[in-house]
Amino acid sequence: MTRNDGAKKPPDGEKPAGQDGGWEAQLRRGSLELAILASLWNRRLYGLEILRALESTSALGVAEGTLYLILGRLKAEGLVDAEWVDARSGHPRKYYWLSGPGRDRLRRMALIWAEFSANLDALVEPVLDRKERARAPR
Amino acid sequence: MPHDDATQAVELYLSRLRKGLRGLPAPDRDDIVEEIRGHVLERIESGGTVTPQAVDTVLRAVGDPDQLARQYGTDAMLRHAVASRSPWLLLRTTAGWARRGAAGLVALLLALAGYGSALVCYACAVAKPLFPSHLGMWVTPERTVTIGYFSGRLPSELMGLSVGPTAGLVVLGTFGPTQGPVRELLGPWLTPAGVVAGFLLALATTWCVRRLIARRLQGRRPGPLAAAAAAP
Repeated sequence: MTRNDGAKKPPDGEKPAGQDGGWEAQLRRGSLELAILASLWNRRLYGLEILRALESTSALGVAEGTLYLILGRLKAEGLVDAEWVDARSGHPRKYYWLSGPGRDRLRRMALIWAEFSANLDALVEPVLDRKERARAPR
Repeated sequence: MPHDDATQAVELYLSRLRKGLRGLPAPDRDDIVEEIRGHVLERIESGGTVTPQAVDTVLRAVGDPDQLARQYGTDAMLRHAVASRSPWLLLRTTAGWARRGAAGLVALLLALAGYGSALVCYACAVAKPLFPSHLGMWVTPERTVTIGYFSGRLPSELMGLSVGPTAGLVVLGTFGPTQGPVRELLGPWLTPAGVVAGFLLALATTWCVRRLIARRLQGRRPGPLAAAAAAP
């Protein structure tokens, strides 16, 4: 008999959220694939490095394990390639990089995103006051 | 001493993950577990002092191992099924998918209705020579066409696949009762017609279900997470 009874249970690692939080979580999840692909632009990273790149943009709204699930999915779709590399100390790491199709897909997604966010920015701009506009990143 | 506890907690977590992944081929399973192991150990090591609480925080952040394993399982299952032509595999896959959300349920209902209709057509084709006066393509005064069984006595219910405005478009099961008169259209041609119709229905169903699965696999959203979170 928790107070969460009957309500949707958020996935582990995600903050319990009200209506706004639910929308925000969906937005984050929806852009997660783009964020992961973009983090690999012109470089090879292993899982934890990708995660750190996403954390700095606070783009990850899901449990960390989900990152590996999505990387597996991207690999199955042929958008990324991966290879195990023995680290000098500690554990072997699985490095990921963009394949040719992955680069093409990322370019297309980035273009759509840029256009979409520019339009939306213009729409919400009057809603924010000057202080809030300055606080919003970029 | 605390280090041993930490190792034990991590190993327990990984063994739960591994157990949940037992439906996957062994190399894939090892790959996933090793990747998560590396992640967890590096997180713990970079955190400085190793305390049970710190380990717990790291494992919590990775997420529930059973849920993670289920998500991997669904992914693997769908990926396998999307290349398959086997109705049995597609039905089993959509049944598993249906437990994770509404899209899966839609796919399962579609698969059941489509393959069910195909089965009715095949069954009629096969059984027609055995019960020639009871099986056929029946037209009722209600402007409904039924492929299936008619007892011959009125008023009667027709059993099989019914199409028509009064049947509520399409009914798989019994339609009626009808007062008659009931006319039969195909005669002995029911057998070849049933085979062809059954084949086309099965083919169309397979195509549609595979399309649904492919769309789900290409979905931009990280998959069954939202649905899995809503599941008990």
